[in-house]
Amino acid sequence: MAEKLLEIENLTAGFLTVGGTVKATEHVSLSLDKGQTVCLVGESGSGKSVTSLAIMRLIDYSGGAILEGSIRFQGEDLTKRSQDEMIRIRGNKIAMIFQDPMSSLNPVYTVGDQIAESIMLHRKKGKKEAHKMAVDMLRLVGIPAPEIRAKQYPHELSGGMCQRVVIAIALACDPDLLIADEPTTALDVTVQAQILDLLRSLQKELGMSILLITHDMGVAAEMADRIAVMYAGIIVEEGSANDIFARPSHPYTEGLLKSVPGLDGSRGDELYTIRGNIPGLSQLPVGCRFHPRCPHAKDICREKSPPAFRVTEGHHASCWMYMEEGGAAAWKNESKPEVSR
Amino acid sequence: MTEFFIRRTLQSVLVLFLITLVTFGLIHAAPGGPFQMMLAPGLSPEAMKVQAHNMGLDQPLPMQYLHWLGNLLQGDLGYTFKNHVPIGQVIWPTVKNTFILMGVAWLLTLIIAIPWGIYNSTKEYSLSDQTASFISYIGFAMPTFWFGIILQQIFSIKLDWLPLADMYAMDKEGQLGDLMMHLILPVTVLTLSFLAAYVKYSRSSMMEVLDKDYIRTARAKGVREGKVIYKHALRNALIPVITIVALDLPLLVAGAALTESVFNWPGMGRLFVQMAVAREYSVLMAITLLTAVIVIIGNLIADLLYAVVDPRVQLGKRGGRSA
Amino acid sequence: MSEANMQTSAVIPPVDVQAVKPLKRPPGPWRTAWTKFRRNPYAMSGLVVLLIFVICGAFAPWFTKYDPAKIDLMFANLKAGTDGHLLGTDEMGRDIFARLLYSARISLAVGFSVAAGSVIIGTLIGSISGYFGGFIDTCFMRLVDVMNSIPLLFLNILVLAIFGTEFRYMIMVLILTSWMSVARLVRGTFLQLREMQYVEAARAIGVSNFGIIFRHLLRNASFPIIVNATLMVGAAILSESALSYLGLGIQAPQTSWGLMLTNAREFMLVDPLQSVYPGVCILLVVLAVNFIGDGIQDSLNPRQKMSERRIDRWRKSFLKSKI
Repeated sequence: MAEKLLEIENLTAGFLTVGGTVKATEHVSLSLDKGQTVCLVGESGSGKSVTSLAIMRLIDYSGGAILEGSIRFQGEDLTKRSQDEMIRIRGNKIAMIFQDPMSSLNPVYTVGDQIAESIMLHRKKGKKEAHKMAVDMLRLVGIPAPEIRAKQYPHELSGGMCQRVVIAIALACDPDLLIADEPTTALDVTVQAQILDLLRSLQKELGMSILLITHDMGVAAEMADRIAVMYAGIIVEEGSANDIFARPSHPYTEGLLKSVPGLDGSRGDELYTIRGNIPGLSQLPVGCRFHPRCPHAKDICREKSPPAFRVTEGHHASCWMYMEEGGAAAWKNESKPEVSR
Repeated sequence: MTEFFIRRTLQSVLVLFLITLVTFGLIHAAPGGPFQMMLAPGLSPEAMKVQAHNMGLDQPLPMQYLHWLGNLLQGDLGYTFKNHVPIGQVIWPTVKNTFILMGVAWLLTLIIAIPWGIYNSTKEYSLSDQTASFISYIGFAMPTFWFGIILQQIFSIKLDWLPLADMYAMDKEGQLGDLMMHLILPVTVLTLSFLAAYVKYSRSSMMEVLDKDYIRTARAKGVREGKVIYKHALRNALIPVITIVALDLPLLVAGAALTESVFNWPGMGRLFVQMAVAREYSVLMAITLLTAVIVIIGNLIADLLYAVVDPRVQLGKRGGRSA
Repeated sequence: MSEANMQTSAVIPPVDVQAVKPLKRPPGPWRTAWTKFRRNPYAMSGLVVLLIFVICGAFAPWFTKYDPAKIDLMFANLKAGTDGHLLGTDEMGRDIFARLLYSARISLAVGFSVAAGSVIIGTLIGSISGYFGGFIDTCFMRLVDVMNSIPLLFLNILVLAIFGTEFRYMIMVLILTSWMSVARLVRGTFLQLREMQYVEAARAIGVSNFGIIFRHLLRNASFPIIVNATLMVGAAILSESALSYLGLGIQAPQTSWGLMLTNAREFMLVDPLQSVYPGVCILLVVLAVNFIGDGIQDSLNPRQKMSERRIDRWRKSFLKSKI
């Protein structure tokens, strides 16, 4: 069995507000092997980003806190680390890239400076050497004429170029884990593919693990070894990419997959949509959080929140369907899910 | 760069020209003509004419204006009416004194306000933050000269700790220590009235910057929180503050006429008030022009500073902020 | 009944019209704003304080039997409370309380008339500038530049020195140095409205579009103008007191808080309290007016961060009155 790099157990994180604590994620458990890519998939507001910020312990800076659970990275529990200790891990062993590359770069420093800063911090290099390494990083992420680009400011670069710079910053210190929070959402489709290709080839080259956060099932299909689907702060289904795409087992996952427009579908086919909206964190329904939108909701769904049931080895779903042995495909034989307009 | 300077200089010249027109026009719009009262009283009409002729007052207005402007361009500000002293001699010493007073007050304000604002940006609604808010409300609504009077009553008259007014004590002309003592009260008045605004400005500007994605990137890089603030956030946060400081330049230049009057500080502001009461129009015009020139130069400096701090700004192509 | 309704009623049982209560008309923008305003403790206390001052000023003779201008050296420098002199008398035997009351009259009159005048002039210039654009617009905007390059207190002093310190001149010159913000605001709104579709449409059917834009302007910009006006009231009161203090504003036998401070300052060794009262009055009125302005602003647009906006607006009015 592969070496575990990151193990999140029972993670509950939230925000402290005037009206009390709002839990953005609850009892999230997730693990990541060395060299693996795990995708965390869900709609916006499902708690994906909070999970990633919690791993980095950056959630402390946005008025949030880890309320419960552990995050074990290379054997040490990050939730027990102080911020002083975290700064040695952040950018060094765990790096992160964010959604909007243009605003993720500091407008008043050159991109070379911004890459070199991280090298100077963690690799204890001198300014000159760090800048040389920064240029190397720019070359590595496929930026042409890196010597010139290094002296430019973020506003002089395109969005795709900026994302490459952001990746260069993240990878400058050869991290073991890269957390990519919607790395392609803000980019053009063609650039998206380039960035994903880049991430894949860099992963091969550097041997890091990637936790990719996305709302796009297409991106997940392209990148993931394993997929965890999040809904309203909890992981509803988790399994290998094959499992998830071949046998989506939670009604929500199935809905997500169905709502991806395919090229094979004939024009005029009604695109599937999951009815309703993701509930706000302060008005979560009792019982299974998905039941108000679930086409298969039963009485028990309205009363009790389902634990994670094993579907097959390494494939879990939090749905009461799987309570009885052999109930795995029970609802699949029912009538077609309702199409909402 | 060059193009920017040429354009800005032309603009400034136009504004200055308009200011000469406005001030000259204003003075000549006075009922009965402005220089009427300047002529020695009790003169016969003939003698009056002669004197008016000597002063060039019998010429048509546009000619008078051109004449005045011509002299001005040669650096000749003219003479005072009453004692016939060159105006330059009257003004220059006060300019220095105003710069001393306002410079000290300004520096002190910025030195206190910017760190305070930054501190408050990380401690929203703390006691320190509330104090700054309170000072700002009071500071805006309180007449500065009244505040000065109250301070004089407490610290000069009741407690007798500090000198009541003036720049130097009678026998201590030019001594630095004495100057410092005399500076304390007026500087307190000026600092307190501007402090709160700057605290608030740097606070809100800093808070805005701390919410930005690139701050999160910096933290994700493993940068220490202190360094995140003074390296990544501060420079961005200072950009709008520079604008405000630049816009406040007229204050620095004009001196607070009121504070100078209350503390009998021999600066430009007090001179302006005195000359207004004495109806020395030429001096008033000269001071007005001088302040305008300094304000315009100050704005130019602010533009340069802007370009230095913010790489997105290219001189002459700046969006967002109008000149 | 229309066809569509017929179809619906086939599916849904028809609703008993009588049973459905008629919907209340949603409250208009003014009413909503007032509801919000009422819940703002700062704004409401500001309103109460202002009302007290207005009543005291308007009905001054009801509150005191003394004539504020009556000089009686027999009764000079009386202590507070003697002979029904609530706050005592000043060095010329004038009743201080009476003077405070009558000063409120002057200050509020100055404040409100300057605000009203500035709104009128500013709206006029702003709409002409915004409507015609081009050369006229450029001219007006240069004029604004010129105004902003001269310290405005200097300009006030200059004009009063030239024209004399009459009440109407003071109002005039304060308006002259206050209209710019309203003009900018109105011009901006005009430029926006000019681009809008319905103006195009109106032009197409031959309606005079100036009229149309003007009507829309009143609807769109009236609230911001009102907020601006409240701040101008405060600024004008501060300016009046400053000018009076310098001897260029209100003249005896009339009375004003600023003038009272001039007198009080000369006698601060004798009676330090004399200089406290007028300053406190100015502070209270200006604070009240500013809080009302904030209340109006917040009741209209709660989305913006309150404190920062307040600082920004207050600062503008403050700079105007204190330079």
